[in-house]
Amino acid sequence: MVFITNEEILETVAMIQAQHLDVRAITMGVSLTDCSARDAREVCERVFEKVVTRAGRLVAVAAEIQEKYGVPIVNQRVAVTPIADVAAGDDAGAFVKVAHALDDAAKEIGIDFVGGFSAQVQKGFTERDAALIEAIPQAIAETERVCSSVNVASTRAGINMDAVVRMAEVLLEASRRSAEQDSIGCAKIVTFCNQPEDNPFMAGAMHGSGEPETCINVAISGPGVIASVVKSHPELPFTELADLIKRTAFKITRVGELVAREASEMLGAQLGIIDLSLAPTPKVGDSVAEILEGMGLDRVGAPGSTAALAMLNDAVKKGGTMATSSTGGLSGAFIPVSEDAGMARAAAEGALSIEKLEAMTAVCSLGLDMIVVPGDIARDALAGVMADVMAIGMINGKTTGARIIPAAGKRVGDWVTLGGLFGEGPVMAVSGAGNRRFMARGGRIPAPLQSLIN
Amino acid sequence: MTDAPARTSVIVTALGPDKHGLLAAVAAKVAEMNANIDDVSQTVTGGMFTMIMFVSFTAAEATLEELQETLTETGREVGLQVTVQHEDIFRFMHRV
Repeated sequence: MVFITNEEILETVAMIQAQHLDVRAITMGVSLTDCSARDAREVCERVFEKVVTRAGRLVAVAAEIQEKYGVPIVNQRVAVTPIADVAAGDDAGAFVKVAHALDDAAKEIGIDFVGGFSAQVQKGFTERDAALIEAIPQAIAETERVCSSVNVASTRAGINMDAVVRMAEVLLEASRRSAEQDSIGCAKIVTFCNQPEDNPFMAGAMHGSGEPETCINVAISGPGVIASVVKSHPELPFTELADLIKRTAFKITRVGELVAREASEMLGAQLGIIDLSLAPTPKVGDSVAEILEGMGLDRVGAPGSTAALAMLNDAVKKGGTMATSSTGGLSGAFIPVSEDAGMARAAAEGALSIEKLEAMTAVCSLGLDMIVVPGDIARDALAGVMADVMAIGMINGKTTGARIIPAAGKRVGDWVTLGGLFGEGPVMAVSGAGNRRFMARGGRIPAPLQSLIN
Repeated sequence: MTDAPARTSVIVTALGPDKHGLLAAVAAKVAEMNANIDDVSQTVTGGMFTMIMFVSFTAAEATLEELQETLTETGREVGLQVTVQHEDIFRFMHRV
């Protein structure tokens, strides 16, 4: 037996009870490649059956592991093969039906979200991709638990600017369709550059083409433990603070690894990845902004915020990679606005702008995330913001995503309550300078050089 | 010859304001549940009682769920916050 000291035991208990150590998500990847059929009804039946059969025990297994180790497992989810690769034909209505089948399966097995109503269009659209994208607003409006993501750019392909503009149109329609709920539909749609195929986080999870039949991907604890450690050491110079964050990240990642091993064995699925992202929720004490402010910034968004985030992100990854050999997914601190009470407060006070968030996304994941903008934003302005986020991912060879919510009927400064895990936040300003002629060019921004990278 | 039945090892921690009979209350309940105390340590600092107990049992003797329920209830009765967790969480968190 490995010797464990009393100090280590008490530290573990304190991390769980006082610092909110948890496992953020167990996401089961399920391949639907064998569910293809000509007839939409047959696809729906196969999709429902496959998800329920393979992931039916997910919630019960998570509960069992949670009880055994005394660590909360906050979310259980399923990610599936991009539906554009599963359903056939060019009829958007057929894709909406498949979304309903996914929604029904999610309800049947008791999970809150299923991801993978997705397409990969960084080089161009197949007929199926175009139909799926056309179906997104209706599919999201008519279902409760389905999440959608579309990859429009990559470092190897460049940015499909036609797809960026198309996604801006999709968002504006999704916004109108959920206008009575502050356009919450848009919170379930992510536009990506370099979308990972093994990400456990919603709304951008899907089960990529290189993945096994089923796998278990686990997201480590939220930011609470790191925030607590950083705040309790206000005097440390950066090198020592980085070491402290590394040691803490190691410990919380080990818990993720333990849970991933056990869950994959119990569910008969391959162990996929451990995602080292720090993912905030609107709860107090569960905030990435709080970590940065704990480092000494009065508010996130203050000069130095990008440097602070860069250090945090790197230290978490260094500690995490020592703890598991299965790192993957997004693995970077998230900086959503509405989902992080500290970010929302800083944005409301004017300390944090979209432009600063854009700079910060260059040193972490996931991009401009859960940002509310005026509902009457011009299509090209919205597309331009998204293109800028894609460019950061493309040039830096990293994942970036845009989850932007044009809130119908809301103006800059209004407060929007999305509810639950989606949180709340202010409507943020986007530069009013025009870009219509730029966006009208269409086509693809070519893939960047992989050398001469300064 | 048959192998000895597998034993599940858990770690029980208890924290709370000190008073007489706290360790005895937890230990008696563990014995009552047919589980075995492999090791125990306790300290009192500044009036705060801290106990760490290594407990093991076979499937025929007890279950983790029963232990959790019973010891948490005992903790409530005597004013202690009790946790019962499989030992692997501690082993895993601090060692590769």
